[in-house]
Amino acid sequence: MLTISKPYHYLKSIFCFLLMIVCHNHYAQSELLFDAQKLCTEKKYDQAIPLLEKIIIDPQTKGDPASWHIRSYAYIQSYKLAGQYNISKISLLDTAMNSALTSMKLDTAKNYVEENNSFVKFGASSYFKISAILLQDSLNTVKSEFYYAKYKKYTTIINPTFDFKQKDIEYYNTTGSIFADKYMKNNFSQKYGDIAKAALLKVLDIDNKNISANINLGILYYNQGATLMRMMDYDVDLAQLDVIQENAKKLFKQSLPFMIKVYELDPKAEKALESLQGIYSALLDDEKANEFKLKKEALNKQ
Amino acid sequence: MKFFTKYSLLLILAFSSLSFQQLQNYDSNAKVKAVFLYNFTRYFEWPEKMKSGNFIINVIGNNANLNQELNKMASSKQVGNQKLEIKSSSGIDASLQPHIIFLLNESSDLLKEISAKYKGKGSLIVTEKSGLAKLGAAINFVVADNKQRFEYSKTNAVKAGLKTSDELKSLAIAVD
Repeated sequence: MLTISKPYHYLKSIFCFLLMIVCHNHYAQSELLFDAQKLCTEKKYDQAIPLLEKIIIDPQTKGDPASWHIRSYAYIQSYKLAGQYNISKISLLDTAMNSALTSMKLDTAKNYVEENNSFVKFGASSYFKISAILLQDSLNTVKSEFYYAKYKKYTTIINPTFDFKQKDIEYYNTTGSIFADKYMKNNFSQKYGDIAKAALLKVLDIDNKNISANINLGILYYNQGATLMRMMDYDVDLAQLDVIQENAKKLFKQSLPFMIKVYELDPKAEKALESLQGIYSALLDDEKANEFKLKKEALNKQ
Repeated sequence: MKFFTKYSLLLILAFSSLSFQQLQNYDSNAKVKAVFLYNFTRYFEWPEKMKSGNFIINVIGNNANLNQELNKMASSKQVGNQKLEIKSSSGIDASLQPHIIFLLNESSDLLKEISAKYKGKGSLIVTEKSGLAKLGAAINFVVADNKQRFEYSKTNAVKAGLKTSDELKSLAIAVD
C-alpha cells in the first residue's frame, strides 16, 4: 500500500492553497471582464470603462486580446455618444485605436481579427473626417495634417497596399483651395496665401500635371502680385514704386509657369487662356496678352 | 468594400469645397500710372497763375480703369493745397487749362497739335507711345524689363513753361 509521507502532504496542501488563490483571482478577473462586457451590452460605457482600466493592468488579463478588444469597443461607443467628430473628445478615439492595436497584437489565435479591423476602419474614417473639419479652421491646419496622417496610419494597418496618391492630391488640393479662398476673403492676408501655396506645391510634388493645383498656384502668385499693387499708396515715391513694381513682377513671373503648364496640358482650358492674358497684361507684354485674348475668343466661338 | 463606398462619400462631402480661384480683376498698370502722375507733381513747378484752383489732369482717350484709378486718387489726395480734378475727353478741350495732359496711346496723333497749343502755358504733356518724348512730350511712359518706366525730356518740359528738377532725370530714361 502506498503510503504518503508527511512532507508530501504538506506540499500538496500548499499547492492546493495556491491553486485556490490563482483560480479565485482568475475567476475574479474573468468576472470583471464579464461585468464590463455586460455593462457595454447595456450601453453603460461610462461604468464599463473603469472596470476595463483595471482589467488591462491586471497581470492575469492584460495579455488577453479580449480585454483590449472590449476596451476599444467601449471607448469607440463613448466617443460616438459624445457626438461623432467631436474634436474635444478625440482622446476617446485615440484610446480606442490604441486598444484595438494592442488587441490585434495579442490576438495570435486570430479570434478578433474582423472586429478589430472594423474598429480600426472606423478610427481611420473618423480621423479623416476630423482632418477635413479642422481644415475649415485657419488655426488648425497643423492639427488637420496630424489627423490626416493618423487616417493614413490606420488605413495602412487595414490595407497595407493602399495607394494614397489620389487621397493626398485631394487633401492638399482642398487645403490649397480653402486657404486661397481665405486669402482672397481676408484682405489678401499673406499667412493664408502661404499655407495655400505650401499645400498646392505638395500636390505638384505628387503629380506635376495636376490641373487644379497648377491653376490655383498660378492664380495665387498672380493675385499676390496684384495685391502689392492694389495696396500701394498713391504717394509712394518713385524709388519705392520701382521696388514694388519689381516685387510684383517677380510674383507675376512666378505665376506664369503654372499657367503655361495648364495651357500645355489642355490648350482649350478657358481658365488658362484667360489667366495667361491677365498675367501677360500685368507683365506689360501686350503682344502676348493679346495672343491669349484672341485664343480665348476663338475658343468661345467654337 | 462597403467601407470604401462609405469612404468615397465622405471624401466627396469633405472635398466639396474644392474649386478654382479667381484672378483678381485689377488693372495694376492703371494704378502704377496714377502713382507716376501724382509723383510728377512733386518734380515740376507750375506757373504762378496755375497755383490756385483745382489741379487738373486731363486724360485724352479712353481708359476706364485709369480714369477710375485717377478719380479714386483724386478723392483722397491733393497737390499742395489744390484739389485734384480729373477730366476725361476724347479730344482737345479748348476751355481747359490742365496742369497735366495725358495723351493715351490711341490719341497720340494729337501730340503735335497739343504741344503747339499749350506751348509755354504750363501744361505737362505726358504720352505713352514709343518715340513721343522726342516729338514734344515732356514725359513718355515706356515699358522696360516688364516694368513701367518713363522717358523724360527736360527740353520739352521747359518749352511747356514748367520749372523742372534735375532729380527727375536720375529716375527717368533721359532723352535729351
